[in-house]
Amino acid sequence: MYALNYVKVKSLTEAAKMLASNPEAKLLAGGMTLVPTLKQRLAQPSHLVDIGGLPELRGITAKAGALTIGAATKHHEVATSAVVKKAIPTLAYLAGLIGDPQVRNMGTIGGSVANNDPASDYPAAVLGLGATVVTNKREIAADDYFQGLFTTALEEGEIITRIVFPVPKRAAYAKFAHPASGYAMAGVFAAQTASGTRVAVTGAGPGVFRWKAAEAALGKSLKAAAIDGARLDAGEMNEDIHATREYRANLVRVMAKRAVAKLSGKK
Amino acid sequence: MRVEDARLVTGGGKFAADWNFPGQLHAQFVRSDRAHAEIVSVNAEAARKHPGVKGIFTGADAVRAGYTKAPHSLAFPGINGMQTRAPERPVLAHGKVRFVGEALALVVAESAAAAVDAAELIEVEYRDLPAVVSPEGALENGAPQLHEGVVPGNLALETEAGDAAAVDTAFANAAHITRLKLEVTRVAPNPMEPRACLVKHDPADGSYLFHVCTQGITTLRKQLSVYTAVPEDRIRFEVRDVGGGFGQRTPAYPEYCALMIAAKETARPVRWVSTRSEGFVSDTHGRGNIIDGALALDRDARFLAMRLDWVNDMGAYLSPASPGHIRNTTICMTGVYRIPALYAHYRVSLTNTTPVSSYRGAGRPDIAYVVERLVSQVAAELDIDAAELRRRNFIPPEAFPYKTPTGSTYEYADLPGLLDKALRLADWKGFSKRRARSKKLGKLRGLGISTVIENTGAGQAPKDEVELELDARGTVIVDTVSKSQGHSHETTLAMIVSDALGLPLERIEVRQCAPEKQHLVGGHTGGSRTTVGAGSVCHLAGLKLIEHGRSLAALDLGVEPSQVEYAAGVFHTEGSQRKIRLGDLAKNGAVSVVAEGKFGSTFPNGCHIVEVEIDPETGAAEIATYSTVDDCGKVINHTVVEGQLHGGIAQGAGQVFGEHIVYDRDTGQMLTGSFMDYCMPRAGMLRGVNTEEHPTASKVSPLGVKGVGESGCTASLPAVANAVVDALRPLGVGHLDMPMTPAKLWHAVRAARKGGN
Repeated sequence: MYALNYVKVKSLTEAAKMLASNPEAKLLAGGMTLVPTLKQRLAQPSHLVDIGGLPELRGITAKAGALTIGAATKHHEVATSAVVKKAIPTLAYLAGLIGDPQVRNMGTIGGSVANNDPASDYPAAVLGLGATVVTNKREIAADDYFQGLFTTALEEGEIITRIVFPVPKRAAYAKFAHPASGYAMAGVFAAQTASGTRVAVTGAGPGVFRWKAAEAALGKSLKAAAIDGARLDAGEMNEDIHATREYRANLVRVMAKRAVAKLSGKK
Repeated sequence: MRVEDARLVTGGGKFAADWNFPGQLHAQFVRSDRAHAEIVSVNAEAARKHPGVKGIFTGADAVRAGYTKAPHSLAFPGINGMQTRAPERPVLAHGKVRFVGEALALVVAESAAAAVDAAELIEVEYRDLPAVVSPEGALENGAPQLHEGVVPGNLALETEAGDAAAVDTAFANAAHITRLKLEVTRVAPNPMEPRACLVKHDPADGSYLFHVCTQGITTLRKQLSVYTAVPEDRIRFEVRDVGGGFGQRTPAYPEYCALMIAAKETARPVRWVSTRSEGFVSDTHGRGNIIDGALALDRDARFLAMRLDWVNDMGAYLSPASPGHIRNTTICMTGVYRIPALYAHYRVSLTNTTPVSSYRGAGRPDIAYVVERLVSQVAAELDIDAAELRRRNFIPPEAFPYKTPTGSTYEYADLPGLLDKALRLADWKGFSKRRARSKKLGKLRGLGISTVIENTGAGQAPKDEVELELDARGTVIVDTVSKSQGHSHETTLAMIVSDALGLPLERIEVRQCAPEKQHLVGGHTGGSRTTVGAGSVCHLAGLKLIEHGRSLAALDLGVEPSQVEYAAGVFHTEGSQRKIRLGDLAKNGAVSVVAEGKFGSTFPNGCHIVEVEIDPETGAAEIATYSTVDDCGKVINHTVVEGQLHGGIAQGAGQVFGEHIVYDRDTGQMLTGSFMDYCMPRAGMLRGVNTEEHPTASKVSPLGVKGVGESGCTASLPAVANAVVDALRPLGVGHLDMPMTPAKLWHAVRAARKGGN
């Protein structure tokens, strides 16, 4: 790690000021991606602005058909929250699949969504449920928020404060974990929402994406078999030493079918 | 609870990096970021000026010190009397770098952070050379040459074993020949404790004191001495706990010798702690063998002959423990079978990769994998039950001790008894029902078996010595130069002495490599050696202490020693009320005895039966059941033995399913240099093991024990692979190489379905 300044801020306003006056500063919440990056000397921020403990970024509430989760809420809290389990049980299930107990007790939902790792789990839920990413400046619809590999609509100095999930009729997540890293090799989040069936895919492509062909097919028939005919271009999938494009495309289809099967099942 | 459990699980262990020397400097190595290049220049000017930097050392310093001749032990002659071509390896690379991660400079500074910062300031100018990472590619004409003039054609040794002519004749007359080309992949052993080494030089006597991860001081001391010409009696150690070894913690690494230079030159102790990332590229790798095999049978499916053509990847330099890759594969080449004619041919290849050394089993899992894959392949090709084919070809009980065609002698093994027990334990006959049930659930179920034997216990040390020291409280301290890396020696060795002396376990304290006992002779802990070697001598030492005590007690009792009886810590003689406690003998000072002996090889053997279930939609494979029956001789402590088996089985299964070091073929960069890409097995992979013992006492060791540290992975590597291939065989898949990842299995299923029906 290179030498840097660590600042534990007391408020969101103070955090925003720190970012505005230090262009090389970075926000720190759980640090599950940033700290390993720093240890490898792959990043050299001037300041680490720790917002992980800010009370205004914490908390889980459900009302009027929406579940709101503070940005600094840890994965373990989401996975075990009675409120989440009641409102969107699949979201609690998904949070419980992230990393390992150590990661789940440090990592935060805001950090995950801000980082937008192409293989992380939360983006699939945020996009699949059509959630809203609320920042200290504005509200961003999930469809506008994710812009590919580690890229988001966030502007310089913008801080995620909470994620607002509309409660769906049903939702399901099926993940095939990378055998080494445990990240999603393919993770498919399917949801029956007020605006129709949404299918979001993580892990397989260069960033989380909606599989529109599957959504259309499911719009006609909400059955796993409907996925068989949905077009998916293997050429748009990732390929590396672990998996070919074809394999990843297959996993997307299989995970989508399993998610849909869960949708039409009891829970 | 084992004796050491409470300490180790409550954070009470003291590992290499837990030591500190007062006034120590911190070390950081500069490592090559390319696979093959000339070093044009190393500019350390800026680094030297960095605050806190006390010294910078490069290949020139290594050459000046004369630390260039790496120890190696491929000492046996090759074909036509060929001698091993051993390249020099300056402890910091000089002139050329030959693999990514090779250390070429060393910075020592007042803080670890200053050392890391300064290391970044060192500018290395390279002239890139083409690299070769494939061991077969390295032997081809026109391949990049790693060590020009020293290792022509990158061929370090070509050697052979067995009788080529006899094998040719048998093949010519065979009714059936099964051929397989197999790869035993290159893996990273990854002990839990990263490598660490602290060195202090004493100018008064020219000695060096080490805190270091080690599998035993004797082998390390000898190799360090060979590398540096520092006499062995000037190399000392203070070591406590070691967090895993698997062979990787045995050798004298060049880094250790470079730290010796720095400690001497700066007149300050030096401390180095590796990161995991550094470990991936600089700790020795394991396995890395490619084998072209063929097994010939007569019309009754009896084995006639086997021919194996090996290419052994040793990486860029020969490691001190490389012979295991050849010797252990010839000692056990015939497996558990009567195969009248054997021939093996070996080409030891050097590549632009991290050096390869012993890894749990050191060639034994490799040969077991080759033989057992071939045998199961024969069974499939001839449609014979895989267990029945094995039984038909077993070395029969009456043939032991069995002299193999490659010149080793196996001690007794009850192979049919072992097999029967394992078939019952695994419900072999019920498999077809379970396969049908899996099929209904959309899963492909496979059944795999291995029956294996391996040589364990022997080592290169001339003998093992154990010292027992008795004090006035009646406590016995056991000193040995073996070294547990998590093997529970403090339990097992104490139990042996406790049994011999009839004393409670609490009265026995085992010390390993104690500073004042480093003159003791003995093998390091490797090759499943310690219970067979040091353990047997512990037993002898207990008996010797009794005999010695008997003569002391006889003096006291005024009788002949033959009239003195001993039981449970007390000497007495018939007709006298007087009793002399063991501790009484040490009233006027400790009483000690040193016992010695040389034991090994012992030949543990076992039968492992595995069922796997594969999801054809994703290629995900799961171990459904795992049953083992092992003959590891007399068992001292069942928990310790089961622990060794479980760990070994997991290592073998982990290699089959995922562990694999991958290099980019063009650049020679490692593509699996972290746990994000290197698939370490998780506990969930192996959820349960049905273990039964089938002990036959070894006649080699006075305790009847056999080495058990490696037999788990020797048997699991082929058994798991056989199960996976068996699951896919109904689709027409004939063979798959490790690692059998979900992606590979899915592609195999898809290709088979496209090609077949």
